[in-house]
Amino acid sequence: MHIAEGYLPPVQAAAWFAVSAPFVVHGSRALVRQVRQDPETKLLLGAAGAFTFVLSALKIPSVTGSCSHPTGTGLGAVLFRPPVMSVLGGIVLLFQAVLLAHGGLSTLGANIFSMAIIGPWVAYGVYLLVRRAGGGLGVAVFAAAALGDLATYCVTSAQLALAFPDPSTGFAGALAKFGGIFAVTQIPLAVSEGLLSVLVIRLLTRTSGDDLRRLGVFRAAEVRA
Amino acid sequence: MFALDAAAHTGVWRSRHPAEKALLSLGLLACAVILPPWPGAALSGAAAVVLLVGPARVAPAVVLRAARVPLLFVATSTVPLLVTMPAPARVTLDPAGPALAAQTAGRSVAALACLLLFSATTPLSDVLPRLHRLGVPPAVSEVAALTYRMLFLLMESARAVRAAQAARLGFRTWRAAYRSVAGQAGAVFVRAFDRARRLEEGLALRGYTGSLAVQVEALPVSPPFVAATVGLLAAIVAATVLVAPTW
Repeated sequence: MHIAEGYLPPVQAAAWFAVSAPFVVHGSRALVRQVRQDPETKLLLGAAGAFTFVLSALKIPSVTGSCSHPTGTGLGAVLFRPPVMSVLGGIVLLFQAVLLAHGGLSTLGANIFSMAIIGPWVAYGVYLLVRRAGGGLGVAVFAAAALGDLATYCVTSAQLALAFPDPSTGFAGALAKFGGIFAVTQIPLAVSEGLLSVLVIRLLTRTSGDDLRRLGVFRAAEVRA
Repeated sequence: MFALDAAAHTGVWRSRHPAEKALLSLGLLACAVILPPWPGAALSGAAAVVLLVGPARVAPAVVLRAARVPLLFVATSTVPLLVTMPAPARVTLDPAGPALAAQTAGRSVAALACLLLFSATTPLSDVLPRLHRLGVPPAVSEVAALTYRMLFLLMESARAVRAAQAARLGFRTWRAAYRSVAGQAGAVFVRAFDRARRLEEGLALRGYTGSLAVQVEALPVSPPFVAATVGLLAAIVAATVLVAPTW
């Protein structure tokens, strides 16, 4: 769910850039270090960025009857880790703004915060929690993708509520209004994205075991190469 | 290819320096976002639309098609601005709501027109190699350039797989549709990493040292274009100050 170009007041738009900047700078430094140690990583990261973009452009059937697009942040975080996703997500969001007019340049900071920072970190945290609690791979990936998507939607609603508080009940009332109106599409979409991510991971463990091992996603025993 | 990128690659402003187009469209975008919606954003948006379909000669159909999704977001997220919640589960119309909704939607539509002016006239392939001049680390801009190069191949792969699945009734039921979309994602993943591996091998054979710098076409900056842009932006700011002096 991208906040459209110019939708946020200028001060809020600038504030979200300031909030997102440390995460993107940290991710960029990690990426630069990684590329310096192993220059070939650059090509894999380019492939990962392109995969994330295409993943977010796939049409998945939605419970509301229409088609929607996944955010791709949950699966991306499990495959490529959150610090890298903050940079790759930023690049993907910039491309989506310029190539598709989804999101925008003035709202890039806010969209990076919800989709490239909070979404991936929540997804990866949930993935680790479920795995450490003994949950299966499918359960962990479903929970990561669905909750990562939901976290993105909640943060976007909070960003809009902060920008446009309700005249009577302030932030809480505005959060209920924005959350309520987007819940119709976003909750079914989160479930759809969770299901899709499980199917994708199952497929990848069968067809791309070496790549998953190279990415350090799964233990060798989990991959039926 | 994406319609906006195709328009940028084939448009009459293709040979202009990206900095000229960035100054014009991002300057208008800044005016649309920072100045009051009336008349600042309205003038900026109107100028962007006139420049898009006038001197830049972008087809109106391309502009309208690209604007559909963001306009849907603006329409949906404007609804909560019209109402207020004095108590939980109680919603009433807010008397000040229509004005706030009109201001917000107006600013957003104007800013969208400015973004489209940039997108439909400036190819990303012209912008990415110049990003390091803005302080972006070369490794990050090179990853972005690689992502951009692989995008088209992968989008085409996803489209081809989808067409093949549709021809085999792959979207007949919900179950089949999910399996088919997962198949598309899997195919794209395999293709992306296969492509990266082949690039890696090709570069290694050519003595790859870690730099993917490409030759950037030297484009002259047009002083009249820059002067006209600065004049337009100054006129918009001056008109806004005159009409809304309390801003």
